[in-house]
Amino acid sequence: MDLGFKGKVALLTGAGSQIGFGKAIALLLAKEGCDAIAVTDINLDDVKLTAEAVKALGCKSIALKADVTNKDEVQKMVKQVADEYGKIDILVNVAGAILGGGPLEEQKQDLWDREVGLNLYGTMITSQAVLPYMQKQNSGAIVNIGSGSTHMYSHGVSTYAMAKGAVDIFTKQMAIMEAKNGIRVNCVAPGPSPTNFIKAPDKQAVIDMLAKQIPMGRGATPDDIANATLFFASDISGYVTGQVLHVSGGSVL
Amino acid sequence: MDLGLKGKTALVTGAGSQIGFGKEICLTLAREGCDVAVNDIDLENARKTADAVKALGVKTMAVKADVTKKAEVDEMVRKVLAEFGRIDILVNNAGGMNFGAFNFLEAKEETWDKDFALNTKGAMFCSQAVLPGMTEHKYGKIVNISSSVAKQAFPGVSTYAMSKSALYVFTRGLAGMVIKQGINVNSVAPGWGLTNFDPRPHDEIKKGFIPETPRAIETTPKDIANAVAFLASDVSAHIVGQIICVDGGSTMQ
Repeated sequence: MDLGFKGKVALLTGAGSQIGFGKAIALLLAKEGCDAIAVTDINLDDVKLTAEAVKALGCKSIALKADVTNKDEVQKMVKQVADEYGKIDILVNVAGAILGGGPLEEQKQDLWDREVGLNLYGTMITSQAVLPYMQKQNSGAIVNIGSGSTHMYSHGVSTYAMAKGAVDIFTKQMAIMEAKNGIRVNCVAPGPSPTNFIKAPDKQAVIDMLAKQIPMGRGATPDDIANATLFFASDISGYVTGQVLHVSGGSVL
Repeated sequence: MDLGLKGKTALVTGAGSQIGFGKEICLTLAREGCDVAVNDIDLENARKTADAVKALGVKTMAVKADVTKKAEVDEMVRKVLAEFGRIDILVNNAGGMNFGAFNFLEAKEETWDKDFALNTKGAMFCSQAVLPGMTEHKYGKIVNISSSVAKQAFPGVSTYAMSKSALYVFTRGLAGMVIKQGINVNSVAPGWGLTNFDPRPHDEIKKGFIPETPRAIETTPKDIANAVAFLASDVSAHIVGQIICVDGGSTMQ
């Protein structure tokens, strides 16, 4: 099926990790014929590797540094992408991370601010910076990466899950506001996955334990997430907006 | 993107209408190289769809069955298995609504029964009939066509909305039950289309509430077929028990 990416320009945040979702999304967009993919990360060295991998597939790419919690940096980065390629058709808000969590009595404002800043405010200001370009051409697709953690409850307070829950709502609000401007906004919510997200020293043991709890018996792969992201980014889902799609192997039913 | 549907076999129910979602689902699967068995309660119409499928160079057959009758469903599946050898994909598309049943105090038992039979029992019988084969092959995709009204509430009691909502719960329960057998069950929820589903003149529907939806355009059969092809393919293998609303933003849940 032709996903219609020929001639399209995409911008991805949080695409530095070499085993993460962002890189897999960038590579799949390149394979499907996207014209140019701007990849950004807080870590420029990492994201340069992603850009090289994209270019190796014959697709234009630039690597840019941006801390998505810094509005000035984000606006500068987005302008650079638009200046370079003349437009932005697709935005994928990948940047996000779990920074902490735990018992209620241990919650501190600093952690809340950082976690909500990265996962929610970062998505908001990146979208804010990109939307004028999409509005000008009366078309665009924004895909936010949410999380299955919004529906999987465990003991303790997960600021991450709360922030991602807010990303779901933000997705719908933006979808409503931008529908008449030809811009669609959707969200892919990954289930547990063996990426850099798991920071425990006994990473493999954690992955094995998670796999046992997932009905499908395995975690979400970067390709699983990339496939769903491309569905939303493509015109084949041209009538789909404001939706949250869980890609979690049955963890969220 | 190669959806890997080449050589797969599908059964699509309720695909007789020449302007409906079912026919376009059949054609889209066929374009991806899938053999398609076309079901409808009206064999003549199913044959018309099958002829259009045949023109795309894949194997096809038209098979009559009233999906609310278990014996007819079992006979249909037996015939398809005899012809195709296996059924990899089932699309429960047959469905309908009793118009004029909106006055709750005057709602009749037979209207209630009819809506629930067509929209829930049909999917149950068809799934029951194909699951033994899918379980044996450790492979299968079931896509239920729900409705965006399953996730919305309007003033008044709609047996149709309730039955489609029940179909969504059915999707989630069945999905959790069979995922370990390698079978994915998901759902696509269309918004209002200009098909035979709604007996009112299309002009009236177009001027009615469609302009009030966020994108202000109707659901097209192609919109639905694209989402079904995505869920019927292996690129969505990690998506289990989910509902994708293809409704132009009418439902933001």
